[in-house]
Amino acid sequence: MGWSWLWGLWLGKAELCGAGDQLNWGPGTQFWTPHCKKDTEVPEHDRRRVAELEHKSSEEWLREMGVFIPEKRPRGHLITLYNSLKGVQPDAPVNLSLETNTSANVSCLWAKWSPPPLADASFNSHVYHYELRLKPEEKEEWEIVSVGMQTHYKVTSLQAGVKYIVQVRCMLDLGEWSEWSSERTIQISKEQLPPEKPRIIKCRSPEKETFTCWWKPALDGGLLTNHTLLYSKEGEEKVYECPDYKTAGPNSCYFDKKHTSFWTIYNITVMATNEMGSNVSDPHYVDVTYIVQPDPPVNITLELKKSIKRKPYLVLTWSPPPLADVRSGWLTLEYELRLKPEEGEEWETIFVGQQTQYKMFSLNPGKRYIVQIHCKPDHHGLWSEWSPEMYIEIPADFRVKDMVVWIIVGVLSSLICLIMSWIMIMKGYRMMAFILPPVPGPKIKGIDTHLLETGKSEELLSALGCHGFPPTSDCEELLIEYLEVEDSEDQQLMPSHDTPSKNTKIVLKETDNDSGRGSCDSPSLLPVKCRESHSLPSTLQTQDVRAKEKKGGKGSWETQCMASEQKTLSCNNSEGMKSCTWLAAKLPSNQAAMFAYHSTVEAFKITLNTTNVNTSPVLVGNEENHQSLYPLAETVYDDMEKISEMEYSRTDQTTAQVRQNQHNDKSPFLNPKLMDYVEVHKVRQDEEPTLFLKHKENSGKTKKCTVPGTSKEYTKVSTVVDHHILVLLPDHGAQNTPVSQEPVAETSQNPQQSQAEKNTSYSTTAPSDSRRDTSGSDYMDPSSFMPSFK
Amino acid sequence: MARAAGRAGAVAALALLWLLVSAPGDAGCHPLTVADLFDRVIRHSGRIHSLSTALYAELEKHFPPRDNELGRPVRKCHTSGMLTPNGKEYAQKIPMQSMGIISNSLNGMASSEGTGLSMSNEANMMSDSDFIHCFRRDSNKVQSYLKILKCRIMPENSC
Repeated sequence: MGWSWLWGLWLGKAELCGAGDQLNWGPGTQFWTPHCKKDTEVPEHDRRRVAELEHKSSEEWLREMGVFIPEKRPRGHLITLYNSLKGVQPDAPVNLSLETNTSANVSCLWAKWSPPPLADASFNSHVYHYELRLKPEEKEEWEIVSVGMQTHYKVTSLQAGVKYIVQVRCMLDLGEWSEWSSERTIQISKEQLPPEKPRIIKCRSPEKETFTCWWKPALDGGLLTNHTLLYSKEGEEKVYECPDYKTAGPNSCYFDKKHTSFWTIYNITVMATNEMGSNVSDPHYVDVTYIVQPDPPVNITLELKKSIKRKPYLVLTWSPPPLADVRSGWLTLEYELRLKPEEGEEWETIFVGQQTQYKMFSLNPGKRYIVQIHCKPDHHGLWSEWSPEMYIEIPADFRVKDMVVWIIVGVLSSLICLIMSWIMIMKGYRMMAFILPPVPGPKIKGIDTHLLETGKSEELLSALGCHGFPPTSDCEELLIEYLEVEDSEDQQLMPSHDTPSKNTKIVLKETDNDSGRGSCDSPSLLPVKCRESHSLPSTLQTQDVRAKEKKGGKGSWETQCMASEQKTLSCNNSEGMKSCTWLAAKLPSNQAAMFAYHSTVEAFKITLNTTNVNTSPVLVGNEENHQSLYPLAETVYDDMEKISEMEYSRTDQTTAQVRQNQHNDKSPFLNPKLMDYVEVHKVRQDEEPTLFLKHKENSGKTKKCTVPGTSKEYTKVSTVVDHHILVLLPDHGAQNTPVSQEPVAETSQNPQQSQAEKNTSYSTTAPSDSRRDTSGSDYMDPSSFMPSFK
Repeated sequence: MARAAGRAGAVAALALLWLLVSAPGDAGCHPLTVADLFDRVIRHSGRIHSLSTALYAELEKHFPPRDNELGRPVRKCHTSGMLTPNGKEYAQKIPMQSMGIISNSLNGMASSEGTGLSMSNEANMMSDSDFIHCFRRDSNKVQSYLKILKCRIMPENSC
């Protein structure tokens, strides 16, 4: 019953723990309190009960549990069972003994022990399980070996010469492991070998009077190894041993002055000896002359000196190492120093030579530098170690002076800039005007450019001074007709710079075969902008009215468009521009179109000058080569109500009444009806003949150099031949000249010829040169050289 | 040719040395001081030694020596018969007159060379590398001796 209760409890525990949970007999497990991994609830009463029973002995427990144990039943069995159930921890094994056995380079360790003693001897038959662990003495990790049920074990994996610690423990079935037994140590002795070869590391002489050799000892198996250094000199057979092992430290040999010979080669070897044997190193040949490595220089000092130029520099001085005998000349040292800025990476190495001082110029003030020096014997030897670091810092006092100067300069310049800018602001405009004078735009008196911009024609016209159309009095004077006879396309009218008047007019005549096309209304007329004529033709610069032709299409027009209130105006309006009315002319693509530009004033002036008379030569405008002049004029002016009035300066008030107006108050310039006088003026060599209209009405004034008596005048133009030949007809009225055809001056190539022709054809008298000369003008009365038809 | 040059150099240096030692102490004819003269001689000997070192380095570069070569007992210089101080103390203690002995020995050797006789078989039998090795050593000796001698001759230097 009790048993069943027990079992039930146990099972119940298992159940409580749940399936899958490991049922542990936790440490310090009392009795039957298996620990569930899961913390499950144990019934309270059971727990208490269990706790009570835990501390009771087996027999008491049994009694408590109400287990009736009959006397006859062996109690040991139960107790054992109890013990096993309780989880008895056995005692540790005892009598652990270790033995080493080395055989054939394999050393084994035999461990033996005895099972723990028991209180009840009757249980000796129980079976223990043993475990053994060992580790080297210095290490921490244990190596655990499961032995089984034996009481001995053999370990093979042991290192020679290492001390091991061994322990053993045991466990009963289903019980706990015992404690570990007490420690036992064992060490396997090494194999005894002769030592390995030592090695000589280096030999050095610090001052070329003594030297020292160092070697590296050989590995030994723990046995005591003794090293000896043996040497022999060149040429001698005798072997010596190192005189001094101690002065230079362990594993070294110091040769003092007595034992040091120069210019002889030493043969040095080291021998290592132990119980098992000895070993000799390789020979090392040494000539002391070549193994000198001095100590670093000492007493490094810095001094700041100022040179004559007041640029400071540093002088670095040092002294040779104390042991080196430089004074007697036995040892000559060369020095080398290196320096770098404190934060820098690279060293700058400077070879100094045999001097013990060095001047440094190239250091930046205010920066910190590190400098080091080392030395070497000349010719042969090794460089010493670098001396301890030396810090250099150059005082930056003079730098402050520089700064002050710079500050002053900066302040002054800023002041100047301020003043300059203030002046600029205050008088900026004036300065600007002074520096960059405005470009004068072209100005036309009386015309305000604004008006042009706005495009108001009325204002423009008013500005132009055309208060009415026809032009008023001031315009009258400028009624000069132009008919240009031109033959050369190359010639261009030069702009008349001198034209003061803004009203220089340019007569544009454009005709084509179709008469009547010259009007402004003609659709062939292109709009022309009245813009300033920069190429205002001024033939008159050469004192000659030149027919000028503008290449077709590029006519630049004198802005002086006379506004006419006629169709010309209509043109204007139609065009919507300020195109000159009747001045507007078509720009035919062909170059036939020619525009006569003349500065009337200029022309007039020139004519005046040339004639010196109050003649009013009529400048005949050139016509194009299409048509005869006459019809041209006709066409041109037919449609025009007004002649192109050439305004000219009022200065010419005289007979510059080239105005056609005169004889025709309102007649157009070339009133065809009135145009019956054509004065052919002299045809010059290079020029086109110019025809001048001579006004009858103004004969009073306009008589020009008319040679009395020779009043043969060809004033009528009959046709134009070959585009450049004007055929003139003599004036019947004036003279009874036969109608003849007179080719007008041909090309400019042979005016003479033409003249001659004229002369000949009309059997004129030979032109008198004198006359020509006397005329003194370019314009000669053709009658002077015209043949007398009479 | 190298041998001749080497020998000539060593001879010249030592001869000059002898001249300096044995010559009368007046330097009236010469604007040079003895110290300057010594400096010159030392510089010359230094040059000779540098040349010999360079020569030796070249030789070693082209014919790398075996490990044991340095300690070959065969390597014995023809001048090893001369007693030369092998240390600083010895060099300082040696009387100056003995310098003459040295130079005489060298002169003897030079004259024997000049006569065209095979000066010493030893020298002839030496290989070039050995000869250069010996020459290098001897030139270093000469320079060191000259330096010490300079200090000794100058009474103001407390050598």
